[in-house]
Amino acid sequence: MELLRSLTIGQYVPRASPVHRLDPRTKILATTVLMVVVFLARDFRGLGVFAAFLAGAVVLSQVPAGFVLRGLRPIWFLLLLTLVLQVFFGGASGGTVLWRLGPLVATREGLVQGLFVTARLVLLVVSTSLLTFTTSPVELADGMERLLNPFRRLGVPAHELAMMMTIALRFIPTLVEETEKIMKAQMARGADLDTGGPLRRARALVPILVPLFVSAFRRADELAVAMEARGYRGGEGRTRMKQLRYRARDLWAGLVVVGASVLVLWSGGP
Amino acid sequence: MSDPVVVCEGLTHVYLRGTPFESVALRGVDLVVRRGECLGLVGPTGSGKSTLVQHFNGLLRPTEGRVWVDGVEIRPGTAVVREVRRKVGLLFQYPEHQLFEATVFEDVAFGPRNLGLDPEEVQERVRESLEWVGLDPDRFGPRSPFSLSGGEMRRVAIAGVLAMRPQVLVLDEPTAGLDPEGRREILSRVRDLHRKAALTVVLISHSMDDVARLCQRVVVLHRGQVFLDAPVREAFAQSDRLRSIGLDVPRVTDVLLRLKAAGLPVRCDRLTVEEACEEIVRVLQGNRRWSSSEA
Ligand SMILES: Nc1ncnc2c1ncn2[C@@H]1O[C@H](COP(=O)(O)OP(=O)(O)OP(=O)(O)O)[C@@H](O)[C@H]1O
Ligand SMILES: [Mg+2]
Repeated sequence: MELLRSLTIGQYVPRASPVHRLDPRTKILATTVLMVVVFLARDFRGLGVFAAFLAGAVVLSQVPAGFVLRGLRPIWFLLLLTLVLQVFFGGASGGTVLWRLGPLVATREGLVQGLFVTARLVLLVVSTSLLTFTTSPVELADGMERLLNPFRRLGVPAHELAMMMTIALRFIPTLVEETEKIMKAQMARGADLDTGGPLRRARALVPILVPLFVSAFRRADELAVAMEARGYRGGEGRTRMKQLRYRARDLWAGLVVVGASVLVLWSGGP
Repeated sequence: MSDPVVVCEGLTHVYLRGTPFESVALRGVDLVVRRGECLGLVGPTGSGKSTLVQHFNGLLRPTEGRVWVDGVEIRPGTAVVREVRRKVGLLFQYPEHQLFEATVFEDVAFGPRNLGLDPEEVQERVRESLEWVGLDPDRFGPRSPFSLSGGEMRRVAIAGVLAMRPQVLVLDEPTAGLDPEGRREILSRVRDLHRKAALTVVLISHSMDDVARLCQRVVVLHRGQVFLDAPVREAFAQSDRLRSIGLDVPRVTDVLLRLKAAGLPVRCDRLTVEEACEEIVRVLQGNRRWSSSEA
């Protein structure tokens, strides 16, 4: 039952680390750069350098390493599937044959390729979750809004997007909690959530989804009223209490990220 | 009256173990719920009451310690759990939030259907449960649960649990957020179930008045530990201890305590308004007789 709560992706871990103190814009941009870099890295050496850099960042952020790895739990199936598909279908035909399973042939090249793609996915997930571990939802939305601001003239609703994101992030834990409670309540009435065929299981979701939607709508309503009662009228002319400001440490962090990226690409390159 | 239905031994529960959000909700709780009693479970907010009762029907897995229901140990993931969920009916805080069916009838029928009963039996249980909570099955059965008042919705939710025909009924703050009339209604239904249907009841409540009126025994939780476990009269006689952890005594007890402090020699272990009246009258008359004989 606590499974739902072990979803650590998107959870903020309050700490007073140097990574937490960085400007959210710096962290968002850095994460974007890293996401590109992890896809440009062409071999294990590159990924190795990337992983070392990321490990350093995790240590610096004071988020427990075990907690970071738990974030991978919900996607282990995806990782496994990727690995299996790559092993059997990823390698070029005519590599060194490792073993055969009927028409399926696993090649050495396929295995290497599979491990590479899986490692890439893991690094991608860890780097993005490091962003949410170290940046509170409010900061994250603030940073997004400021970064998107220049595109307002092109019709990008920066403030609205940021507000939607804040609210969504804010309510994920609430909805998880609510789901857990409703599941327990129905289980107490003998609901069986994890046996039977797919149709039965789908039907078993109704007693959970209906109350969940009802409560989500109720919450949305209450939130809208509460926001209006406090004078919210959209982003126009809204000032903020906390002004974002780049500091020296942001410059340093930026340089480190660029340095690491160059190192990753160079070590993998010719 | 004396044989145990639910037994907890050294029950410890840690939420989110191994994460930065770890929190210890229960520490080594020993508790026995006896058959046929009405047990009040009180404690300040966050003291672990809701966590404790979720162990009574295997919704949570003990971090340490063991739980028995009706002599059988609950081991999560076994067939025992299904049986236990049938024996222990648990009504959550704000239970009306779990209603989902198109009609009241269907919603109450959810539990019995999960037990795999045949349609006639289901029908009979639904009618009976609705009557127990004071809702006319013919009038309310076909209505949408979402069209009812808060108090009625809550009674439908209680009926949904009763339709499982549990031996033990656990109610987590059944009167929270209701008006005085709604509270009285729910409480008198619970009292009836306890007295007439001989149901074992565990009542979680922040209202000491309700506990005093309904329960024979009180267990006080504080920071995940049993702080006090005593018959109601003894428990509420320890007003200082209760107040030291932010709880209160029933209003009746409070009045008697104040009278005593003001010099009237009343006994303070009276719980209902009637008992208190008798006691005050007794003392006052005693006083008068005493003073008149003196004169
Ligand atoms: N699902 C959960 N995940 C993590 N921690 C939890 C969870 N449920 C409860 N807790 C924590 O466990 C402790 C006990 O909570 P519990 O809900 O059992 O208290 P309670 O006595 O029922 O309080 P209340 O009177 O407010 O209902 C609290 O500190 C709470 O924060
Ligand atoms: Mg509670």
